[in-house]
Amino acid sequence: MSAVLQKAEKAEKGALKGAIRIEDVVKIYDPEGAAVMAVDHCSLDIPAGEICMIVGPSGCGKTTLLNAIAGFHSISSGKIFLDDELLCGPEKPMAQPGSDRIVVFQNGALFPWKSNLDNVAFGPLMQGKLGKKEIYDKARSMMADAGLSGTEHNFPGEVSSGLRRRVEIVRALMNEPKVLLFDEPYRALDSLTKSVMHEALLEIYYKNKVTIFFITHDLEEAIFLGHRLVIMSSRPCKPKKIIDVDIPHPRDYSVLTSTRYRQLMDETIELVHEEAKKAFSAGEKEG
Amino acid sequence: MNAKRLRKALFNRSKLRAVIAIFVFLVLWEIGSRSKDWFGFAVPWIGHVPAPTAVVVAWYGLLGDPGYWQSWYMSTLRVLAGFFAAMLVGIPLGLFMAVNKTFNGLVFPSFEILRPIPPLAWVPASIIFWPTQELSIAFVTFLGAFFTIVINVLGGAKSIDPRYFQSAQSMGSSQWDVFRRVVLPATLPSIVVGSAVGMGITWEVVVAAEMISGGGGSGGSGGGLGFFIWNSYVGGSYEQIVVGMISIGIAGFISSELLRKLGSYLTPWLRKR
Amino acid sequence: MDQNQTVALLKRSMPFQTVPGDMLDAIAKLARYESYARGDVIYHQGDFADDVYIVSSGTVQHTLGIGFQATHPEKILHSGDVFGWAAVLDNQRSRLAKTVCMERTELIRINGEELINLFRASPETGDIVMSRFATMINKEYTLPEEVAGHVPHFTQVPVTMATGLTLTMFRLSQWLKSPKPYLMFTGFGILLATWYFTVEVWKLPRFADMPGLTVVMKEWFSKDPVYGLSFYTPEYYQHIWVSVRRILIAFFLATVLGVPLGLFLGWSKTFREYVFPVFETLRPIPILAWVPLAILMFQGSETPVIFLTFLASFYATALNTMLGVETIDESYSRAAACLGASKWQTFKEVIVPGAMPFMFTGLQISIGVAWFSLVAGEMVSGEFGLGYVINTSYTMVRYPTIVIGMITLGIVGYTSSALVRMAGDYMMQWRVRELALGGR
Repeated sequence: MSAVLQKAEKAEKGALKGAIRIEDVVKIYDPEGAAVMAVDHCSLDIPAGEICMIVGPSGCGKTTLLNAIAGFHSISSGKIFLDDELLCGPEKPMAQPGSDRIVVFQNGALFPWKSNLDNVAFGPLMQGKLGKKEIYDKARSMMADAGLSGTEHNFPGEVSSGLRRRVEIVRALMNEPKVLLFDEPYRALDSLTKSVMHEALLEIYYKNKVTIFFITHDLEEAIFLGHRLVIMSSRPCKPKKIIDVDIPHPRDYSVLTSTRYRQLMDETIELVHEEAKKAFSAGEKEG
Repeated sequence: MNAKRLRKALFNRSKLRAVIAIFVFLVLWEIGSRSKDWFGFAVPWIGHVPAPTAVVVAWYGLLGDPGYWQSWYMSTLRVLAGFFAAMLVGIPLGLFMAVNKTFNGLVFPSFEILRPIPPLAWVPASIIFWPTQELSIAFVTFLGAFFTIVINVLGGAKSIDPRYFQSAQSMGSSQWDVFRRVVLPATLPSIVVGSAVGMGITWEVVVAAEMISGGGGSGGSGGGLGFFIWNSYVGGSYEQIVVGMISIGIAGFISSELLRKLGSYLTPWLRKR
Repeated sequence: MDQNQTVALLKRSMPFQTVPGDMLDAIAKLARYESYARGDVIYHQGDFADDVYIVSSGTVQHTLGIGFQATHPEKILHSGDVFGWAAVLDNQRSRLAKTVCMERTELIRINGEELINLFRASPETGDIVMSRFATMINKEYTLPEEVAGHVPHFTQVPVTMATGLTLTMFRLSQWLKSPKPYLMFTGFGILLATWYFTVEVWKLPRFADMPGLTVVMKEWFSKDPVYGLSFYTPEYYQHIWVSVRRILIAFFLATVLGVPLGLFLGWSKTFREYVFPVFETLRPIPILAWVPLAILMFQGSETPVIFLTFLASFYATALNTMLGVETIDESYSRAAACLGASKWQTFKEVIVPGAMPFMFTGLQISIGVAWFSLVAGEMVSGEFGLGYVINTSYTMVRYPTIVIGMITLGIVGYTSSALVRMAGDYMMQWRVRELALGGR
């Protein structure tokens, strides 16, 4: 039995929090000028503890949605709730960024001037709820759990990008967030590293059961990781089809060769390809 | 929609703030410089400076004075001469150093040793060497811009992604082709930046050189805005000092902007979509 | 290629550098020598990985396969570089890259199995070499901890990465062995020789009036200089000190005022919209145009000079610091916000360190312009100081002293820039290491 499955069996089922409800959200950029509609009446319900993969071609507005949840962009209309609490809505177009929804960025946002350990300890240190010694002990043990011990005193610039991603995830988890928001984090990694990252992510998920909102355009990644796939139409962004990935968790790399996986790929690839072609002919710029 | 956009453009918040800030600055300056007359004691530093209103009056008077415009002309001429000389020598030198490792190894260390010597320190040596004052000023001006331009060209050439070379070579380009179609265009942005900075330095040096050599009393082949400022000081027309300062500021600004526009024209691929 | 040449080549390569002599001989005996022409493919990705290669002469292009994305997917390898190390990894039996010769190239190849057997016989040495392989891997790949896991051990001690110090020493030794230092001295030689010949030997028309190399050197080093300044006269050092002191004061003030201003200009949009226009309106005015005004504004002859130097420095520092803040990737401040940092905390923990690289570049520029302005200021209106020396030496027809002043300025100016750069490197350890590993 693989390492991932073994570890998953040992993981507890923590309390589930972090349900996201997106209600009829619209985002128009530069309303008095070019009026570009990035998100078009998007509604989506993500139950707590689900790994929800948002799939679509580049530039279709998925990042806008993520940024709206995180609190970096405002929305033009509609509402977003986290566990029935309003994040943003008509009276409050922009959410307040907070440690209950932490983003893992596309190009990584580990502070290059702090060591890995200092990065991991950053959140709790800023929030000041725990004592310094406690924080560092916790940081060290979480890094060890994720297989990162030995790299505490390296700077992010000295280690590989795969390792950096993992440190960034641990940094987020230190704050016990309800939701992790991933913005195509593994886009720039080679396929060997990616598969390692996927298993690492699942390991972490089985221990922590956060809600994961994961943007990707890699269909294989989406099916391997997700509970559900939300396939978005190209700009403006709107859920086109929602597909349940009924391969049971916990999963490991043997899933990749299973029949069900192949079937799901077949089902979804046409849909995604359609949208990709539309985006391509519209000349969408990456980003 | 159009009226709204127009209003937005005109009463742009940041432009408004800029105007307010400059206005406040001018007011404070006026008050400070008039402090002796108005309050009976001179505010330190600003109290000794001529007032903006007096400056404007003096400037208005100068607009009709051919000598003033002559100064503009002289300074601009010197700047352009020194600057173009620096470009003419500096760009090829920089490119050659970037392309040929042996030449680089030979020349670069000596270049780096000479570079920290401020251009103005060369003035006396330059005066001894060159037969006319004009040439000595031109030489020092040249030096000022030269080092900056070469450094920028080198930096630009060094940071060319090696993959450009490889794709050119894999498409069968000769050495000369590679130079012309890869190295030159790729270095162009750095050349533009280098020349913008070099231009700024050229103005600094020209003004200084004019003040030092022209202010040395020869007066004959003097002229130029730097000399104008120094002369105004010596002659006691303090408002004219400020007029001169602002004139040079404007001249420098215009020349930098022109360079930037030219640079943008030559590097269309850098313009944002 | 004979045994001695092979050993010499091995000694030059990173992994085998510190291997003791007898082991090197043994390795050299395993080496086979091969020669390739331009365009020859040494191996393709997927080929069986049997040998490790070291470039003896020529150039090899090393392209990692499409599945990989390393720091530098395509590298150019030169004499002394090692590649093909898949041959010594535990479970890597096929090539990860394609290697092509870019010109006539000579290589030595060493069979991986045989090399490993040698190391089994001398485990400590084997581990040292493997740890150096591991360091090379770490430098180049995105998943080194995965690949490094396959680096074989020979003793019980785990494989460690080579430290920064050994990397530096290695680079230094490479530099000394390259033509660079010799070219450098030749370049100096040519420069000095030109000076000497044009002025003193050939006595070319305009050059003859200039002070010559020997005259200047004699003066500079004489115990009783004709014109009063040499290494032996206290006045020399007084003048240096006066100039340096002015620089220190001006630079210090400029940094203390310029850095916070730059940080705020970059950080707060409101602040920038009010303050930057005033800043930018004053900036095009050349520093020296301020001379008469400075004389009017400030009492005495010392303060105007320091003011001018300060002004030049201040602009450079503030502008570059502001640029430094503006170029910080917004992901960093967003990440900080996500992690619960307040605005002020973000400023302290993200903005300030993030702006540091640009800020230090600005400080280096700033000290350069400080010297520029100081000299000008001293030449126009100062007493004592190197600029003053140069100017008065000219008016008093003490030509050799002009050159002494110029050279001294160059040395002192260079030293001060270097000090600033070193301070920057010290404060930004993270960047030094990041850049070192990046290779460029």
